[in-house]
Amino acid sequence: MSLIIVNKDFSFMCLPFNKPLFYSIFSALVICLLYATPVNAQENKTEPEENTTTTEDLERQIAILAEEIEQIRSGETEEELTETESRALGVAPSASKVYGREERGVSIAGYGEVLLENYAANNQSGVGGGAASKFDALRAIIYTGYRFNDKIVFNSEIEIEHAKEAYLEFAYVDYNLTDNFTLRGGLLLIPLGLVNEFHEPNVFIGAKRPDTEQAIIPSTWRENGGGVLGNFGPVSFRAYVVNGMNGQKFASKGLRGGRQKGGKALAGDMAFAGRLDVTPTPGVFAGVGIYRGGSDQGQVKDNNGNEISMGTTIVEVHGQAQFRGLDLRGLFAHASVDNAGAASTALGLSSGKPIADELRGGYFQVGYNLLSQVNSPIASLMPYVRLEKVDTQYRVPTGFTRDLSRDGTYKTIGIELKPINNVALKAEYAVITNAANSGRNQFNINLGYAF
Amino acid sequence: MASNRFFTGLLLTLAIIATFFAGLFAQDLSREEIVKLVYPGTSVKSEYVFLTKDQQLQAAEQSGVDVPSALIARYLASKNDEIVGTAYIDTHIVRTKKETLLIALNTAGEVLHIEVTAFLEPREYLAPDAWLRQYEGRVLNADLAIHRAIRPIAGGTLTAHATNEAVRRVLAIDEILKEN
Repeated sequence: MSLIIVNKDFSFMCLPFNKPLFYSIFSALVICLLYATPVNAQENKTEPEENTTTTEDLERQIAILAEEIEQIRSGETEEELTETESRALGVAPSASKVYGREERGVSIAGYGEVLLENYAANNQSGVGGGAASKFDALRAIIYTGYRFNDKIVFNSEIEIEHAKEAYLEFAYVDYNLTDNFTLRGGLLLIPLGLVNEFHEPNVFIGAKRPDTEQAIIPSTWRENGGGVLGNFGPVSFRAYVVNGMNGQKFASKGLRGGRQKGGKALAGDMAFAGRLDVTPTPGVFAGVGIYRGGSDQGQVKDNNGNEISMGTTIVEVHGQAQFRGLDLRGLFAHASVDNAGAASTALGLSSGKPIADELRGGYFQVGYNLLSQVNSPIASLMPYVRLEKVDTQYRVPTGFTRDLSRDGTYKTIGIELKPINNVALKAEYAVITNAANSGRNQFNINLGYAF
Repeated sequence: MASNRFFTGLLLTLAIIATFFAGLFAQDLSREEIVKLVYPGTSVKSEYVFLTKDQQLQAAEQSGVDVPSALIARYLASKNDEIVGTAYIDTHIVRTKKETLLIALNTAGEVLHIEVTAFLEPREYLAPDAWLRQYEGRVLNADLAIHRAIRPIAGGTLTAHATNEAVRRVLAIDEILKEN
């Protein structure tokens, strides 16, 4: 046998017992129950709360829940900026994260890439002495943005290059006048080419950026200024006024050294930079970019102390078609520098390595995502080919000779694996030749990510 | 200095032109707005239907495709208190991401119009409007299949199949709900 005990809350416990103890406890229990019963009875007299929920209410509640569930399920609220919309804003997909914010607050995104470069032992003439292989934490960047309200957005890119050099790549404020017209000011990416504004490693094809978009359009090219951007149906445009380049840093290898990168930039000469793109259907666009501005900044003078005007013009046309697995991209860029001969002399450049009057470059590349038409957890496996020709000495001033090593041809074949769209592993082999017969082939591997 | 004035002038001119054109382009339409365009002059009411287990199985059998959810969202268009058409919302996966279609039917169970209301795959895989128009007037039968009554999308196989399955599913559900 066991003893049943009613707890304070009238639950029961069972214990072993002896009779005297049992009787005394049982008596106490009866007394307790006698006292407890009226209280209990009193509690039971309390009317249960009236249930006012009707069937109609329940139906309404179910309908509300069904609507909420169906809306979430539909994905209509999940749609992020499309690549076309992001492109119209002049920033790559991850860089446009702040525009996806609907309410006030911070956005954080980023990208990075690690690059292994391995050079052939001999150059195209069979001469050895190539550069040592390099394995570089090329870029690691954080985008931070802040949406103040419907109209005003701040966006920035802070970059660490080669694991040690910190740069501000862009930092601007947008004032959104209408849904498709915006004013922008700050440190801006120059809106030329296919890579400069869209330089995330999962966006451009290839382990390395095309040489044309390094020597002639010197990506990542950013300057201080302001301007407008917008899109009207299939047409998008950007037009900025920025500080001009610093022509003192131009060289036979191109205009890259002339970037001022926003730090205490000389602004005696300003420049216009703009582009216009037409997107007839999603994934397909073509356009033109123009840059024109002074580059001497009052610093390049002849022997008589007269300023040498170094008006610099870059015109480029570009096109891209991403169509159901196929990826075609092409660009042609032409640049000219006024008074390149006088400037080369004033800057003390050798007669065989002058600043060119004219520079030219272009490339065409094609890739195909082999997995585009099958259900696969892997986002993309894309073999690609790029053919490129860059000549930063296309036409040199009278009295100077061309630096033939700057007249290069690049034939690149590679493959890009994207396990997900945010991560890209690329491996490629580039056959590099030049007019000086000193080209050296290269094998590159790039691991990039963006979020 | 003269060049700076030129650039400033150019910028202002562009700004004025752009402002002039700003706002001329329409925003995306809501589901209700699309339904009203498909069934002009009607009043539109949204409705959520829960299929019974039997109805769900029957719909899968009739359509030949999965009916993964019993929750059906639809819009009823009526004129003079008479239903003139029903538009269904169907959400499905294309490759790894969602697509949602609004599939509008008439009372005879024929497709009137298909509109993509959400497409989370890359946009180049989106079915073109001209391709979607192939479905207009189609009913549920064996011919409603890719490479039969429906042409494929070059390079868009997965979109084509996902869309065709959605249309078959909706037509079957519509038939079953009308029977009941």
